[in-house]
Amino acid sequence: MPDFSSLAATAAAIRQGKLSPVEVTRHCLDRIARLDGRLRAFITVDADRALVAARRLEEEAGRGQWRGALHGVPLGFKDLCVIRGLPTSCGTRTADYFTAEHECTAVSRLLAAGAVCLGKLNMTELAMGALGDNPHHGDARNPWAVERCTGGSSSGSGVAVAAGLALGAIGTDTGGSIRLPAAACGITGLKPTYGRVSRAGAMALSWSNDHLGPMARTAHDCALMLQAMAGPDPLDATASAHPVDDYVTALDVPVRGLRVGVPRNFFFQGLDVEMEAAVRRAVAVLATLGARVEELRLPDPQVLNDITGLVSRSESTAIHGGLLRERPHELGPFTRARLELGLSVPAHDYLQALRLRARLARTFTREVWSEVDVLAVPVIPEPAPPLRAALEGPLEAIVERQGRFSRLTRPFNGLGLPALSLPCGFSTAGPPLALQLVGRPFDEATVLRLGHAYQRATDWHTREPDLA
Amino acid sequence: MSENKFQQAELAALLGVIERLAGELSLAEEPARFTAALEEGAPAAGGGGAAGSPGPSR
Repeated sequence: MPDFSSLAATAAAIRQGKLSPVEVTRHCLDRIARLDGRLRAFITVDADRALVAARRLEEEAGRGQWRGALHGVPLGFKDLCVIRGLPTSCGTRTADYFTAEHECTAVSRLLAAGAVCLGKLNMTELAMGALGDNPHHGDARNPWAVERCTGGSSSGSGVAVAAGLALGAIGTDTGGSIRLPAAACGITGLKPTYGRVSRAGAMALSWSNDHLGPMARTAHDCALMLQAMAGPDPLDATASAHPVDDYVTALDVPVRGLRVGVPRNFFFQGLDVEMEAAVRRAVAVLATLGARVEELRLPDPQVLNDITGLVSRSESTAIHGGLLRERPHELGPFTRARLELGLSVPAHDYLQALRLRARLARTFTREVWSEVDVLAVPVIPEPAPPLRAALEGPLEAIVERQGRFSRLTRPFNGLGLPALSLPCGFSTAGPPLALQLVGRPFDEATVLRLGHAYQRATDWHTREPDLA
Repeated sequence: MSENKFQQAELAALLGVIERLAGELSLAEEPARFTAALEEGAPAAGGGGAAGSPGPSR
C-alpha cells in the first residue's frame, strides 16, 4: 500500500519514483467518488483537468524536470479562491458570486510548485460561521463523527484532508476559519501572520482580519505549503515584504530552551474537562522536549475579540452589502443577521477600533513576547458538538454558540499573529481535541518547528477516521 | 428578545467597549501602526527558524 499518510511522505515518494502523480491523483479522485456523497467536502470536483495536469507532471518527472516541492501532490482549494475555469460560489447560492481579474495568488504559487488542483472545497456561506453548515451546498460532515460539526468556515478543507480526499488544502481565517475546522477534524492548520500570504484573488470577508493559510495532516506538510505560498505580491498591497524564512529547514532546529507561555487568564476558563486535560498534557510533552513552560497573564483577549468583531462586521457589510440589499432572500438567517449588524456601525467607531487594534498589537509584543517565545492554548473550548443541536433554537442562541466556539481563535486575528492548530487527543465521545501554538509576528518557523517536534513525539496526527 | 433587539444589544455592547478604550488613544495613534507593529514585533531575520533567507524576488 503506498504511503498517503502525509503530503510530505507522498511528495517524497513521488520524487523517489515510488509513486506517480497520476497514481496519487487517481487515489484521491477515487476516494472523492466513494466518500464525498456523504462528506460533502467538495463543491466542484475538477477530475478531468486534475488528471490532465497529473499526466503532464508525470511526463516531466520522467524527464527529470521537477517544478517544486509539491510536484504531483493533489490539493483542494476553498471555494472563495479564484481558479481559472472554475466557478467561485463562496458558499453562496450563486455559482459565480466572486470573480477577479487574476487567479488567486496563493493557488497559483502552489500549482507552480507542482501541485495538482482537485477542485473547490465547501465552506460556510460567505465564510461566515464557525460550525460548518451550508444551506446551499449541504453541510460538510465530520469524518470522525458525521453528526458532529466540522468547524468553519473552511469546513470542506478540514474534511477533505481528514478523510484523505486531498493531501492538503487552502483555508482562510478571519476569526478562526482555518484553525476551527483543523481542530474539529483532527488535522493541522496554520493561520500565518497577517500579510504573510497574499489575499489577492480570494474573496474578502474582512480586509483587516483575513488570512490565507495551509491545512494538511502535519506541521511539516504546512511548512511545505507555506514555503510556496508566502511572500510579497504586487496584486495585494497588504502582502508583506518581510523576509521569508526557510520553514522546512527550520523544522529540525532543536526546541530545547524555547519559552512556552501558558496563560493564566481567559484561555482555560470555561473549558470542557477533556479539552483542558489534553492541552495541558500536550504542554507537558513540550516540556519533556526541552521547552521551558511558564505561566503568564495576557492583555485582556476579550477586548481583542470585541475590537476584531466590530471591524469584521463593518468590513464584511461594506464588501457584501450588495447581496444583502439586492437578494437578501438568498442568504441564510445567520449570514443575514451578521451583515445587517454591520450597517449600524458608525464610521467613527470602526476607525477607533482600528486605532485600538494597533495599540493592542504593540502592547502584546511588549508584554508577552518579552517573556515567552510561543503561547500554548486550546483552539476550541469543547470537542465539536452535534451540528443539529448547535443550529437549534432562536438566532440569538445560535450566534452565541458560534461566538463561543471561536472565542479562543479570534484574538489572534486581531493581533495578526501566526497560530497553528494541531491534534492532541480524542474525546471519549469521539471528536478530536486540539492544541494552538501562537508565535511572534512573522515567526511561523518557530511555531511550525515546535508543532513538528510535538508531532514527532506523539501520534495523534497519524490517526485516521474509519470511513469504510 | 426579538432578532432586531438582540442585534442592537450586541452592537451597543461592542460600541461601549470601543468608546471606553478610545478615550485613552493619543492623537498620534493611527490604524496604519498595526502593520508597523507586526514588522517591529518580528524576531531578527532568521531568528525564529535560525535559517532565514532573503525574501523571494517574485
